Amino acid sequence: MNVVVKEKKVINYKSCFDVIGPVMIGPSSSHTAGALAIGLVANKLLQGYPKKVVVKYYESFAETHKGHGTDFAIIAGVLGFATDDRRVPDSIKIAKSQGIEISFIEETGESPAGHPNTADIYLENENRWIRVVGISVGGGLIKVKHIDIDGFSLDLEGSLPIMIAISEKVNLELELRRILKSYDVEINDSLYMEKNGKYLYEFDLNSQLNDEAREELNKLNDIAKIIIL
Amino acid sequence: MYTSIKEIVEAAKTRQKRIYELAIEQEMEMTKATYDEIWERMDKNLKTMEDAVKRSTEGDGVFSPTGLTGGDAVKIKKYRESGKTLSGDLMMLGVQNAVGTNEVNAAMGVICATPTAGASGTIPGVLFAIKDKLNLRREDQIHFLFTTALFGMVVANNACISGAMGGCQAEVGSASAMAAAAAVEAAGGTPEQSSHAFSTALQNLLGLVCDPVAGLVEIPCVKRNAVGTANALVAADLALAGVKNLIDADEVIEAMYQVGRRMPRELRETGLGGVAATPTGIAIRNKIFGKE
Repeated sequence: MNVVVKEKKVINYKSCFDVIGPVMIGPSSSHTAGALAIGLVANKLLQGYPKKVVVKYYESFAETHKGHGTDFAIIAGVLGFATDDRRVPDSIKIAKSQGIEISFIEETGESPAGHPNTADIYLENENRWIRVVGISVGGGLIKVKHIDIDGFSLDLEGSLPIMIAISEKVNLELELRRILKSYDVEINDSLYMEKNGKYLYEFDLNSQLNDEAREELNKLNDIAKIIIL
Repeated sequence: MYTSIKEIVEAAKTRQKRIYELAIEQEMEMTKATYDEIWERMDKNLKTMEDAVKRSTEGDGVFSPTGLTGGDAVKIKKYRESGKTLSGDLMMLGVQNAVGTNEVNAAMGVICATPTAGASGTIPGVLFAIKDKLNLRREDQIHFLFTTALFGMVVANNACISGAMGGCQAEVGSASAMAAAAAVEAAGGTPEQSSHAFSTALQNLLGLVCDPVAGLVEIPCVKRNAVGTANALVAADLALAGVKNLIDADEVIEAMYQVGRRMPRELRETGLGGVAATPTGIAIRNKIFGKE
């Protein structure tokens, strides 16, 4: 069962620092910093190091990933590096030295997400696999259009921040909404899914969560896996 | 949240606020961060811009791994010091800073995206050119960046700021317009004059394609930032002289978006058209990445 609720008009660029920033290693905000951000989403979803990485590129990403440093940027994100980390250009070497198997595929067809800067990342380790389709919309900002995680398959509008909670407990939604409300964080959109006795709640948030809000959400870690993108 | 330039100008006028004040106010509201946190973050961005400009003129300058770009900021600096520039020292200082920043970017150095990495030279180019002439203190320079940000958010949310979506007009065009608006405010102009400078600057670069040779952010990107800075300074001076732009800023933003939508994909950051598709452009690509 999927329920999509439109609660508010979507604004992609919510902060001054989405247009003045990020501080980053060149050369391209959409193809380097944005690509890194998509890699970082994959890193957060897997919650650990992968054994295997497969990256599929579409359109502008497929044509220019070599020149724009997109390859090392995505892998830097997968390894959890920040955009201004000086190890970013060496990320592929670092990953390979840790035995991570990496492949890049240039797709010739149109982007499944309808955007010229599209990357489809698959990560796998001993325990699980995840997949994320991200688009880099400019200035380092990204949207997450599709996620596969723990048997759930989500199509999203995709503006960050996004919070995902996966739990075997059925009535988590009210508690999550209560916490968000108490920190004055508005919900733009929400999604609820159920599969094999597991429940997934996804919230598109209007503003970032501060440290206290994250701490309170982390207290739910015993009963739910909480991921903040 | 401000969703149009018109709203920004109206709010600045009726509430007797500077545009940067509106930007900081909105930032606090949207991100729930404190004034100090927001200020420190913009201070870090400014520091990054200063460091990149500084690095670009140390020794022989910086060079990209391909060797296609680099060292030109040093040449421009020496030329300026000769006192023979045709367009004047302030203009060429702006050009030098813009080129230098993008040389650092092409060399995979640390830069601040403004609004993008490919356009990262334009805004610092303008800011560091007018800094001494207008005696801008560090806090004034941070204010300048907040003003560019508020204008930039309107472009980003109503049109686009990526070359892959809208061509270079969306990157250097947007950066140039943001810088022009902030330069007017820094020089003591009115919010309306900022808006006229913004629309003039963006209008002047409408239709500019994104055609990176070999898919690198080098040719023509580095020099496009030189022109983005020069265009911003011209647009700011025009507005401060009282020259108006009859097509208002929000309509020019929409026009930019529509032009971007009609641009073929070859001219939107694929490296398949424009100067990237010239015989020399193709030869460079083949030399760096091998024949396809």
